[in-house]
Amino acid sequence: MNKKQGSMNRRAVLRGLGLSVGLPWMESVAPATDFQSEGNSSAPRRMAFMFVPNGVHLPDWTPQQTGYSYDLPYILQPLRSVQEDLMVISGLTHDKGRPNGDGAGDHARSASVFLTGSQPRKTNGADIRSGVSVDQVAARLGGQQTRFASLELGCEPGRSAGNCDSGYSCAYSSNISWSSQSTPVGKETNPRNVFERLFGTDQPKERDEEAEKRRALKKSILDFVLDDAKSLQTRLGRNDQRKLEEYLNGVREVERRIERSTGSNDADIELDYPAPKGTPSDYGEHIRLMCDMMVLAFQMDRTRLATFMLADAGSNRSYRQINVADGHHDLSHHRGDASKHKKIREINRFHVQQVAYFLERLKQIPDGPHGNLLDQSMICYGSAISDGDRHNNENLPVILAGGGGGSIDTGRHLRVAAETPMCNLFVSMLERFGTPVDFIGDSTGSLNQLTI
Amino acid sequence: MLPTLIVIFNQIAVSEEQGHFKNELRPLLQQYCFDCHSEADAEGGIAFDRYLDSAKVQTDFELWEKVIRLVKQRQMPPADYAELDNQALQKIVSGIEYELSQFDCSVETRPGRVTIRRLNKSEYNNTIRDLTGLDLRLADNFPSDDVGNGFDNIGDVLSLPPILLEKYLDAAEKISTAIISDESIRKTVFPVQPESDSLEDQVAAANANVRQFATRAFRRPLRDDESQRLFQLMYAAWQRDGSAEEIMQTVATAILANPNFLFRVEDDSLVDHEAIENKSAARPLNSYELASRLSYFLWSSMPDDRLFDLASRDELRKREVLIEETKRMLQDSKARALVDNFAGQWLQLRDVERLTPDPSRFPSYTPSLGKAMRKETEEVFVHIVKEDRSILEFLNADYTFLNEPLANHYGIDGVSGGEFRRVALKGGRRGILTHASILTLTSNPTRTSPVKRGKWILENILDEPPPPPPSDVPELEEGGETLGSLREQMEQHRANPSCAVCHRTMDAIGFGLENFDAVGVWRDRDGKELIDSSGQLPGNRDFRGASELMKILAEEKKEAFARCLSEKMLTYALGRGLVSFDRCVINDTVSALNKNDYRFSALVVAVVTSDAFTMREVIAE
Repeated sequence: MNKKQGSMNRRAVLRGLGLSVGLPWMESVAPATDFQSEGNSSAPRRMAFMFVPNGVHLPDWTPQQTGYSYDLPYILQPLRSVQEDLMVISGLTHDKGRPNGDGAGDHARSASVFLTGSQPRKTNGADIRSGVSVDQVAARLGGQQTRFASLELGCEPGRSAGNCDSGYSCAYSSNISWSSQSTPVGKETNPRNVFERLFGTDQPKERDEEAEKRRALKKSILDFVLDDAKSLQTRLGRNDQRKLEEYLNGVREVERRIERSTGSNDADIELDYPAPKGTPSDYGEHIRLMCDMMVLAFQMDRTRLATFMLADAGSNRSYRQINVADGHHDLSHHRGDASKHKKIREINRFHVQQVAYFLERLKQIPDGPHGNLLDQSMICYGSAISDGDRHNNENLPVILAGGGGGSIDTGRHLRVAAETPMCNLFVSMLERFGTPVDFIGDSTGSLNQLTI
Repeated sequence: MLPTLIVIFNQIAVSEEQGHFKNELRPLLQQYCFDCHSEADAEGGIAFDRYLDSAKVQTDFELWEKVIRLVKQRQMPPADYAELDNQALQKIVSGIEYELSQFDCSVETRPGRVTIRRLNKSEYNNTIRDLTGLDLRLADNFPSDDVGNGFDNIGDVLSLPPILLEKYLDAAEKISTAIISDESIRKTVFPVQPESDSLEDQVAAANANVRQFATRAFRRPLRDDESQRLFQLMYAAWQRDGSAEEIMQTVATAILANPNFLFRVEDDSLVDHEAIENKSAARPLNSYELASRLSYFLWSSMPDDRLFDLASRDELRKREVLIEETKRMLQDSKARALVDNFAGQWLQLRDVERLTPDPSRFPSYTPSLGKAMRKETEEVFVHIVKEDRSILEFLNADYTFLNEPLANHYGIDGVSGGEFRRVALKGGRRGILTHASILTLTSNPTRTSPVKRGKWILENILDEPPPPPPSDVPELEEGGETLGSLREQMEQHRANPSCAVCHRTMDAIGFGLENFDAVGVWRDRDGKELIDSSGQLPGNRDFRGASELMKILAEEKKEAFARCLSEKMLTYALGRGLVSFDRCVINDTVSALNKNDYRFSALVVAVVTSDAFTMREVIAE
């Protein structure tokens, strides 16, 4: 099929008029895997990972029963409308979030380990080192099919001063995506910027030859700086070369993107969504706008991968909107105080409410031959600290939402064996995403209970 | 953080004579370390019994620094062997620190090696402003820069994810468009006019303009091959029927998106590597590299014309010229960057506006008051820089700068309007540690936290970060809501010897500031309880209230403060974490301060004339 039809159909979908016959993703056939070839569709799958800091109040999080039709505990109650579309998973562990000889710094570790399963090197500056995160593994193996390999979002811009956590660089606390062991992928916190990046600013249409000329000029600029970077790289020492490598990767990524967008005329797409004005002062609205951005990006197939830090590790934000004036981190050290438990669970529930909004939005959007965007997605939400007071890293609070294109039997509370690595879940998700790997982080295998 | 050479408050008696190692340190090592770390069973290849009379710091300093680090972080001795009580921990640490202080700095030159730094957000904004005259602040929309060693200009931590490269490219396009479309800007950026309309002259002028622009953007003279490549780029654009504007725009974009602009390059490739016999050697920076180090340190921006001129004549490396320039630059309005970026991070002032005190308890707090709080401390910093005052005034100044809302907040009459002006402080307040900014920053949203305040001052002012609590003690957190129960908890801290060592100091400092509530308002009572802000620092130093506490800090702890500020400033100036040899620089800055009445400029001059700042290690690769 040709591009023109593709964009027309996108428009049709956006208007809610048609089913998604001949969507642009069909142009690029995902690598065939067991999961992609069986099941009910060959529509692309999407993955998102959402991080929440400081653990949760587990007694109000963990369902009493396992299996189907469990009762939703207090914190999870906002998920009622999507309970059948998700799975609560209890018992997963991030062993590499434990000190393992590195001493204090649980919060910094909790963010850096969340999607990498790797022990971060304890350093305040020199030689930051973690592992490649699950989203970036997927982006590297399967991200070439969309304009953006992945999208990294957050609500807090990272600490701009001071020490973050007990001798760990702030890079560990304010990033969950790592494209290499030494490169955290910075996140975007302003919804307006996300929107403009995904869909461009409102530029007047250019005549074709004008556009062509501009592209050629841009290409010549990219070639020029690429050559300069390469020649500079040869003049530098090893550490400096690594920094230049990041530059080179970025240029190549942009070049690929230009090639991918050649021909498809963005201006044809009518987006029925107003560009966000900026960062809203209301935190809930901020989170929901970012969720909208992920939904739009998935819907328009701008990317199939996203990560989202609802707040940075150890965040001490207060939650006025739900009448909790204390800082989240201060509260999480509740020392068994019941009044603090009450406030924490309200914060936990507030976050879950926003997740519910996201999942409901995904569910509203038709995608694939018979289903909706949520059916095609795998949304992993959780924290790499279990209890904020104990700072423990086993029995983590984790939700996996979405059907993964019919590859996950949702609607259950799943309890896995104690000390099962969180990374085993990632192995299983990567399998279903069409980018299988032998291992990631400290995985010991896959999680075979996702289907019955 | 560089290991402190002198541990304040818990100072152990260290003897100056030769026997220190043998008599003080070795017995402790024997007691806690020999079981695993002696010749018989040298775990990890480390045997402490090899050291008989001396720690041999001249050669083995790295080992000892590692020992300090591991002991401080309670990774050694391992938990399944024995846990050190804090007293033993402090003794071992300060004992090793004393040994390290005996290191002879005159033996070799080790200036360290800074990883290539890309411009961070504020550097990018300022550099574009000074390069083009356009104050576009495009970097405000870049992703935030990661922080390492307390600052966001650390080469190792400044990574460049693809999204940032996209933003660099977009910004380069926007800037070059803005240059071309504004007649007067264009003439400043590209000043050379063709002598005639002939194609030849036009090309010559364009070529000269581009070379000049690239030279300033790259902050160094262009090499011939670079000039040629830029010319080729112009030629290619011309062949594509580009207009004169399009051609200049294309080249300007390529320069602004260029790694030589986005990174501050210190190029060792011209050094004769064959000549480096040892593993490493030091080379002096060339004048252009030095100009950039200086301007990015003091201005967070590119060198100005005068610095470029001095660099081109190779004058800047002369010590007296360097000092003169430093003093000139400190007086320039661009030195405001030191406040925004250095003070903003050292004192965490950047975070002040993000604080959210509980409005039901502190209804007087508003976002605009938060801004004023931040500005107060910044104004004091500016004053100390501009007037070249003593850095000890950070601790004991009896003046400050207030506008009307903040003066009301402090209960000071006679200040009206939004303008900030110099105001004499009342008796209770002295120095920045009694500013509402820092008092609020170190409080919980709902109440004060004496422990947080004490810990913050130990970490950021006195360079004595307390070690993490022993593993069997819950996170330091006061439970109750009233002062009464806080005091009770204090008693617990004191009753448990392993807590007492650190908490005695931390809590005493924190309680000394209890007359200030969680947003820095003076109070005599907390609820029903009358506030008792008296306390005792180790060494039987009694004080009553904040101003006496500040007096003690400024008089008796001035060296610790000088050391602390020196370390923060050197880290910021170099853009790297400090390493072993930097202790030599710190010793120099502290003694320079001491000799010059602790004047601010003495510190800055000592930093910029240090080997670490003016030289760089070259590694044979």
